[in-house]
Amino acid sequence: MSTTNVIGKSITRPDAYDKVTGGKKYPVNYTLPGMLHMKILRSPYPHAKILSIDTSEAEKLKGVRAVLTPDEVPKKYFTPVYFVPYNAPSMVQDFILLSDTVRWAGQPVVAVAASSEDIAEQALELIDVEYEELPTVFDPEEAMKDGAPQLHEASPNNIAKNPSFEFGDMEAGFEDADHIFEGVYETQRAHTCYMEPRVCVADSDTDGRITIHSSMQHTFGLREKLAVALDIPESMVNVVKPTYIGGGFGGKLDIGFIEGLAALLSLKTGKPVRAEHSRGEDFISTTRNPIKVYLKTGVKKDGTYTARQIKSILDCGAHATHGSEVIMVHGLYGTFFPWKCPNQIWEGFTVYTNNMIGGGYRGYGAPQGCFAVESQNDEICETLDLDPIEFRLKNTHREGDPHPVLEGHKLASYKIEECLRQGAERIGFDKRQAAGSAEGVKKKGIGFAVHPLWVSGCVGFPDIYEHSGATVKLNRDGTADVISACVDLGSGQISMLTAVVAEELSLSADKVRIVYADTDTAPFDAPTHASRATYSAGLATKAAAVETKKRLFKAAAAVMEANADDLVLEDGKVMVKGVPESAVPMTDIIARAESPFIQVGEQGPAPTTIAEKGTIIGTASQAPPSNPSPVGAQFIEVEVDTDTGEIEVLRVVYSADVGQVIHPNSAEGQVEGGFQQGMGYALMENLQFDQETGACLSADFLDYKIPTAMEMPSNIESIFIDSHEPTGPYGGKSMSEMCLIVPAAAIANAVYNAIGVRITELPITPEKVLKALGKL
Amino acid sequence: MKQIIELDINDEVHELAVEPYDSLLRTLRDKAGMQGTKKGCDSGGCGCCTVLVDGKAVYSCMTMVMSVEDKKITTVEGLPSEGELDPIQQAFIDAGAVQCGYCTCGIMMATKQLLTDNPKPTEEEIRKGISGNLCRCTGYQKIVEAIQLAAASY
Repeated sequence: MSTTNVIGKSITRPDAYDKVTGGKKYPVNYTLPGMLHMKILRSPYPHAKILSIDTSEAEKLKGVRAVLTPDEVPKKYFTPVYFVPYNAPSMVQDFILLSDTVRWAGQPVVAVAASSEDIAEQALELIDVEYEELPTVFDPEEAMKDGAPQLHEASPNNIAKNPSFEFGDMEAGFEDADHIFEGVYETQRAHTCYMEPRVCVADSDTDGRITIHSSMQHTFGLREKLAVALDIPESMVNVVKPTYIGGGFGGKLDIGFIEGLAALLSLKTGKPVRAEHSRGEDFISTTRNPIKVYLKTGVKKDGTYTARQIKSILDCGAHATHGSEVIMVHGLYGTFFPWKCPNQIWEGFTVYTNNMIGGGYRGYGAPQGCFAVESQNDEICETLDLDPIEFRLKNTHREGDPHPVLEGHKLASYKIEECLRQGAERIGFDKRQAAGSAEGVKKKGIGFAVHPLWVSGCVGFPDIYEHSGATVKLNRDGTADVISACVDLGSGQISMLTAVVAEELSLSADKVRIVYADTDTAPFDAPTHASRATYSAGLATKAAAVETKKRLFKAAAAVMEANADDLVLEDGKVMVKGVPESAVPMTDIIARAESPFIQVGEQGPAPTTIAEKGTIIGTASQAPPSNPSPVGAQFIEVEVDTDTGEIEVLRVVYSADVGQVIHPNSAEGQVEGGFQQGMGYALMENLQFDQETGACLSADFLDYKIPTAMEMPSNIESIFIDSHEPTGPYGGKSMSEMCLIVPAAAIANAVYNAIGVRITELPITPEKVLKALGKL
Repeated sequence: MKQIIELDINDEVHELAVEPYDSLLRTLRDKAGMQGTKKGCDSGGCGCCTVLVDGKAVYSCMTMVMSVEDKKITTVEGLPSEGELDPIQQAFIDAGAVQCGYCTCGIMMATKQLLTDNPKPTEEEIRKGISGNLCRCTGYQKIVEAIQLAAASY
């Protein structure tokens, strides 16, 4: 391997200059001449049958070009989730662009395309829809009861999905226990709050082919799902990869309504159609599913698990969408994966209600599981007076253990003990006071939580796309172009791919460019989700660079009259290994390979060049070989004001094994940003709905509060444990999602340590704190 | 009915046809073709659209364009001078304060006012100065570091 000149060092982010000077390349900036603007009329009712739609007045409005009603939309049911095939058996295919039944307040009913946004908006007011209201249900446990209003015929008792697993002997396990702990842990709806709204511009050719620019997290997923929604072959859709997008966090991981409706309106009008969500529309289009966890655990006196029984109820809202998969990830990886327990039973319910639909969100079921299990683990240690670090180490998997889920794989890099010990030392965990023992009105407390990350889309989960691909091309000026469908959400995929190619081709990072890509020209890449990009897209791009290097050496062998196997690449020069004087600049080799066979020199035409001709290019498309989990422990100090109930986070230490860190500055950024989202989830964020009308009560940033710079702690400390993943690119693993799995549980445990009362329902608001203290 | 107005944006006069109800944000993005100012919520909640009006940071989505006709507007496009990035821009790059970057321009504009008024702010003053701006990627830590870095050269 060439010397590590880029990996592990924080190269300047290649996208940073453009972003600080205005950021030209966000999807929201994309326009086309003659483009129309689309607006959506949404249902004011949470459950109703549409009896009639009269669009005649709207169509008369000057500037209105087309109107789209449910009867004009292909009757294709599918799952909108990007990372699975549209008809994946593990998913529920209940999604359709426009329906004659509405199941949540805000469901699209009619779409209008007009010459301006204002006119399109005005046209919505002229549409007359007659609804017949139907009975509603908003609580998933009510929805599961006999006689509750039914949302989808195919799902009796509103149960969209009911997965389970069981092993061992539950009866014996609980009999074997010295103590049994039972609790109910509830989490709320939280929004990803990507800053750039969902936006798209769809254009159609005369042959019916669609080209779409969109802000979504997956180019190929959008191609597949859009083709299904439009009922046209996949090759009739081309999705242009956005150079970057203004955040995603999983919130742009499924086809929304705008892409399909804009494409249909483009086909209808022959014009490009642009659609952009208002912030209010974004708030009711994707959310983290609330999950209620009933958790019962049996332990021996020394804290060893003997049995665990879990029931998880997930509210998926009006359609299953991600709820089909979130429940699985929650059960398997949010509750089971981290812990060794010989007897376990888990049952999950994904339940329809007349609430808004769910979506993907960083952590994907794991934060809800971690909050339940790590809260109860804390309770077990507290009650039995066990050392909470040793308790975790007793019950968790360790490096070198067989992978708890993937047969034939092991936890090759999994330094959980170092994570716990180094984090504990940094925060001063041994000086922690007994719970609730602090004097005064403002009480300090320390807590922690530990959890690995399961990387979906990297071997081992049914129906999930896993493979990645890339093409790497060397230019005559010594630069490399990288064609990859991997979307940068802001979390640094451009930097990561740049670093990998620069490292492999011995280039400085400024010589590598991530260039234009679309689904017509780039190899397939599964979405940027589940923290899979560094491992899967990173490995595939590295493989493409290796192919490129092979081709370079083949040409170099001809130029240098050497054996290609003897060549190495160092500092932009090809040389025979161990013979520095043989070095030839790679630009010379590329130029020779790209030049004509016969060149005219001073002496006239002559065949001066080599036989190895053509662009120095390499392509790879491959599935990742394994699924190495990163793992991390977060230690938090809080201060709780017992008069006001307010919680201030004073200190955060996150200690993680992410393998070799590819880009330290970005890695820290993931920890810090993940904590902002986790702290919001723990303390304040909650999408709230009127329980009679189903209307969203917090559909803007004035009502949906997320932490500002004022609420955030001054210093979030990252510790990256020295680790090397043998199957990863340069020893690297993934990390992003993990940073949001642990904060809520760690904060809840710290709050308990401060006040001596446990709160088991997120978010932990001042009101809940005061109630817990008996002051309200 | 559209009206023709003259706007001083980044020391250049723009003649623009606007609706009386247009916000400054919409005018900048859709009529003046200056897309550096971002729309995050269009309701005064996120700060992505922050620009300077006579040196004061405002939400351009909440500012009616007719109210700034005789004022000086500064956007991110007006930050560099003589072809050089403003120290704030350079510091955001150097500190790694940019992730998705969608909030970045608004935060840099809030920073511009902050450092103009108070060139050596404390960390608390920095956090307060950008508290009208939301970021969902960074946890603000590297943004605060960037502002401290920029302040060192102010």
